[in-house]
Amino acid sequence: MREHRSKMSRRSFLKISAGTVALTGVGLPKRAAAREKGQLATLIDLSLCDGCAALETPACVFACKTINQDKIPEPVDPIPEPWPRKTIEDWSKKQHVSDRLTPYNFIYVHKALVVDSGRERIVYVPRRCMHCDNPACATICPFSANNKRPNGAVVIDQGLCFGGAKCKDVCPWEIPQRQSGVGIYLHVLPGFMGNGVMYKCDLCVDRLKEGKTPGCIEACPRQAMLIGPRREIEKIAEERARAMNGFIYGKNENGGTSTFYVSPVSFELINETIQKKPGQPDMKTDVPRRMAKTDKFGDAVLAAPVLGIAAAGALGWYARRKEQAKKEEKDND
Amino acid sequence: MTEKILADENRVVRHSGLELAEHWAIAVSGIILLLTGIFELPVAKRYYIVTIPGLGWTADFITSLYLHYAAAFVFTAVAMFHLVYHGILGEKGLMPRKGDFSASIAVIKSFIGLGKEPPMHKYLPEQRLAYAGMALIILMLIVSGLVKTYKNIYAPDLSWTVVLWATWIHNIGFILFFLAFGAHMAAILLKPNWPMVRGIFTGKVRLDYARHRHALWIADLEQDQPTLGTDSPQQTKANEAPPPENPGDQASADRAKETPVNGQNAPRSEVSDVSGDPETPADRPGE
Ligand code: HEM
Ligand code: HEM
Ligand code: SF4
Ligand code: SF4
Repeated sequence: MREHRSKMSRRSFLKISAGTVALTGVGLPKRAAAREKGQLATLIDLSLCDGCAALETPACVFACKTINQDKIPEPVDPIPEPWPRKTIEDWSKKQHVSDRLTPYNFIYVHKALVVDSGRERIVYVPRRCMHCDNPACATICPFSANNKRPNGAVVIDQGLCFGGAKCKDVCPWEIPQRQSGVGIYLHVLPGFMGNGVMYKCDLCVDRLKEGKTPGCIEACPRQAMLIGPRREIEKIAEERARAMNGFIYGKNENGGTSTFYVSPVSFELINETIQKKPGQPDMKTDVPRRMAKTDKFGDAVLAAPVLGIAAAGALGWYARRKEQAKKEEKDND
Repeated sequence: MTEKILADENRVVRHSGLELAEHWAIAVSGIILLLTGIFELPVAKRYYIVTIPGLGWTADFITSLYLHYAAAFVFTAVAMFHLVYHGILGEKGLMPRKGDFSASIAVIKSFIGLGKEPPMHKYLPEQRLAYAGMALIILMLIVSGLVKTYKNIYAPDLSWTVVLWATWIHNIGFILFFLAFGAHMAAILLKPNWPMVRGIFTGKVRLDYARHRHALWIADLEQDQPTLGTDSPQQTKANEAPPPENPGDQASADRAKETPVNGQNAPRSEVSDVSGDPETPADRPGE
């Protein structure tokens, strides 16, 4: 199983890196990437994206919708009412919505009207899951339905997810979106536990396995997005940012992500244009990885067995010696 | 040995200060783990726990994680300490023995008036079984919890197979721990067990209670404190008796092996073995 998986991803990764070479015209040393054990990253170049202004739906959004249109099974009817809080989130009748994240829409394009050094300009910002380096959404999932793959993709297994939305609560951008009335919770205790399945971008892991690139990247007519070996993508992002005297988003946010936005306009300015709403995340710079602060406590937990055993060894040895001394005293009587 | 009969006070020292500290460290951290573990599940908002004054923090998984880690530190360290410390000292009074299953059924029957309790050692047979069960559940939780902790800090892309195993062992351990805790509390509610509750707080229980219910234990102690013990005829009987007949009583057998045979010490353990015969509860020392 693993053998199989890693073989597949190596192959796809080589193809991808070849694709990157073709797209960027930059020669990439393939070995460097192999050392990264197949870790991928993506780049979104806001200087290239024009929001597909001429199209009704941006190409990336359309491609993504098309690829994933049959992913979610038909929700049961009626959807069981959860107890006691009766929230039901049903997007199945609004699958067409494409201007925010929904269970049926994993990417959307934000239009930012910014005034940059006195000059008005429009920046289009495709938004989706950042595939963070240490994603709380995955590590903290109580069922491990959400999981970070060795290639860096953060993937929710819709067969294991109960739809409790914990991942959404701990994601700084509240990316995962819930569809009620589908999933494993229906077969357990639907009224009391779980409430559907969470959906979000999965970096097209299945396509990656087949050696293809993610749908949005393939579809973009302006080649505003790239995917490739992590280190290379990071390098390209830095080069491009330097060249346009611009900015990078995603490198430090939430403790680091595998999505690098490059923009000629600062992300503070872009963020000011965003009215944070459900399914429409803001773009605050340097959002911390909140769990990072718990790491010291976790380190203490990992050290606890050693400390406990050491204390027992010391105290046990002392107690035995005392007992022995007592015994000898008695024998000498 | 901290166990000691205090005849003047009608008390017997049942637990050392260290044992009490271990029990309460595990109990308090275990209860915190149980609660914060529940709050690691998305229940606080759904069940309106957040609306209870003072419980607003329960919806924040990171806050619960701090507390879960802090309690897990104590829980893990003390559990490991317990295993190794009492292992080194060879204290096995709580290890299940042969026959504990049927004996515990007899004890439970006696609670509802069916028959008499068999004479008992320091711990009831069900306490020994409960201990083994609890130990297994706690080990499951600790091992899987350590894997989850390691993954959170160092390896978010740890093999999914390993992560799934750890998660589900932890979740099943959580349910079992919850049930075991409930059973433990239920056992305390049973009237015959009440005198032991004083013991888990003060370390001492009533001597008359112990004589009556833990006769085999008191017999052991009385041999260790000859000034108090009735010079039982059984001692001589036991002296002549071959080494432990009762293969189930490993603890006594071990003790007998460790103690140099100098007339006073060795046979003492056997006394309890001989009188451990449930047919003859009446003629034990002190009754
Ligand atoms: C998570 C919490 C706790 C754990 C894991 C725990 C564990 C244990 C274990 C393993 C034993 C020895 C075997 C047995 O008697 O079953 C024990 C004994 C005992 N525990 Fe707890 N305990 C917990 C909480 C409590 C609490 C809240 C009380 C409240 C009074 C309590 C009272 C006792 C008593 C009375 C005994 C009997 C001691 C004796 O034999 O004299 N425990 N506990
Ligand atoms: C009484 C013992 C314990 C109980 C009842 C308990 C219960 C739980 C529960 C219900 C969860 C949430 C479900 C899940 O994420 O699987 C959880 C999570 C967790 N527990 Fe425990 N646990 C206990 C002990 C421990 C110990 C000893 C450790 C560490 C050595 C530990 C580490 C963790 C970690 C790291 C998580 C994941 C938190 C997160 O990142 O979401 N637990 N625990
Ligand atoms: S952006 Fe949110 S959903 Fe995506 S990996 Fe990061 S924390 Fe998880
Ligand atoms: S990223 Fe490409 S496909 Fe998506 S909106 Fe921009 S130009 Fe269109």
